[in-house]
Amino acid sequence: MTDPQDTDLSGGWEAMAAEYVLGLLSKDEVRAFERQMATDPDLEQDVAAWTEYFATMTDDLPEVAPPPQVLNRIEQRLFSTPRPSIWRQLMPYLGGAVAAALLAWVVVGTDLLGPTRPHLYADLVADEQGYRLLAHWAPDSQTFMLRRDAGGVPQDAALEIWLIADAGAAPVSVGLMTPDTLTQIPVPEALVPLMTDGATVAISLEPPGGSPTGQPTGPVLALGTLAVRG
Amino acid sequence: MTPQDEIESLIARVSMGDRKAFRALYARTGAKLYGVCLRVLSDEAAAEDVLQEVFLRIWNRAGQYRANGYSPMTWLITISRNAAIDRLRRLRAQGGAAPLDAADLIADPGPGPEAQAVASDMARMLDLCLRELPPDRAGMVRGAYLDGLSYAEIAEASGTPLNTVRTWLRRSLMQLRECLSR
Repeated sequence: MTDPQDTDLSGGWEAMAAEYVLGLLSKDEVRAFERQMATDPDLEQDVAAWTEYFATMTDDLPEVAPPPQVLNRIEQRLFSTPRPSIWRQLMPYLGGAVAAALLAWVVVGTDLLGPTRPHLYADLVADEQGYRLLAHWAPDSQTFMLRRDAGGVPQDAALEIWLIADAGAAPVSVGLMTPDTLTQIPVPEALVPLMTDGATVAISLEPPGGSPTGQPTGPVLALGTLAVRG
Repeated sequence: MTPQDEIESLIARVSMGDRKAFRALYARTGAKLYGVCLRVLSDEAAAEDVLQEVFLRIWNRAGQYRANGYSPMTWLITISRNAAIDRLRRLRAQGGAAPLDAADLIADPGPGPEAQAVASDMARMLDLCLRELPPDRAGMVRGAYLDGLSYAEIAEASGTPLNTVRTWLRRSLMQLRECLSR
């Protein structure tokens, strides 16, 4: 049975919505139901309502602290493969003195290179929402630019631009996207150190005027990583 | 910030790869979600394993939260319950889970009055409406949600043909829907 309307089962798709949430459907039925739901917002609402109601059956289940190794294992699975820096990779091959000299050179070199820091770019893509954006950090003019190649700006909401310097850091707001194709934001001195190769740029949907909390509150619509382009 | 807003904002930050927010979300909700996994699986090792899977999914899917309009705890609980039921069914198929006493589960009257005293409005509504159904039908709904009962298992336990069981339960679900929308 793939179409309940063709059968003598009472309740049709509506009853199927509850069966879907309870996990009582066969794989074929799940596929048929999801196809139907994609075209029927009422059915989607039914599924949301059943999901909320049925989840209350867990309300009186006691909280049980999981053993500490669980979080360790999760974090290991997710975060344990950081790309080692090129210097760490080379270190075993370099003699101590050479390494020290090289390190000194790197420190000085970075300092010297300071005024001519590279331009950074990030492609922000989100297929589902249809956004295609190019982020561009121009260090000489201290401007952060966002070019919108596809996707619209909502009328009753704001699109906020965030920068996450590294995976452990909290997102920092860079500003709001303007309705123009090109958004240009002068970056205050305090944010300049965050504009680094490998930093993440994210766009979130926020209430008009931007996030009220200083941290993203809405869904992320697009993401990308800043990098140097040759 | 209400606890709900707080969890919602943690999920939003997790969707951007914020590891501190991920750890905070685990600290906030891990015990509840582990409780759900334990209730479904009745086995600590399996529940730990599923909890791990659940948080990997949360990390990977946080960006999709909101698309479906659930409250944040419902979203997290649903991911956990579904992952635990999937595991339970796989274990049962391999003969690795405790044998199922579907008849016993269906006869379970549900939470007592004490638990209801602190229940949310939604939980109370659902409970009231489940009580309007024949007791074995209410037991089937709970058994399906919390113990992963399938139509085949219910049919076998009640000695009733599968199609009949399904017709009954679908009718009861429509009755439940009507009661809940009153």
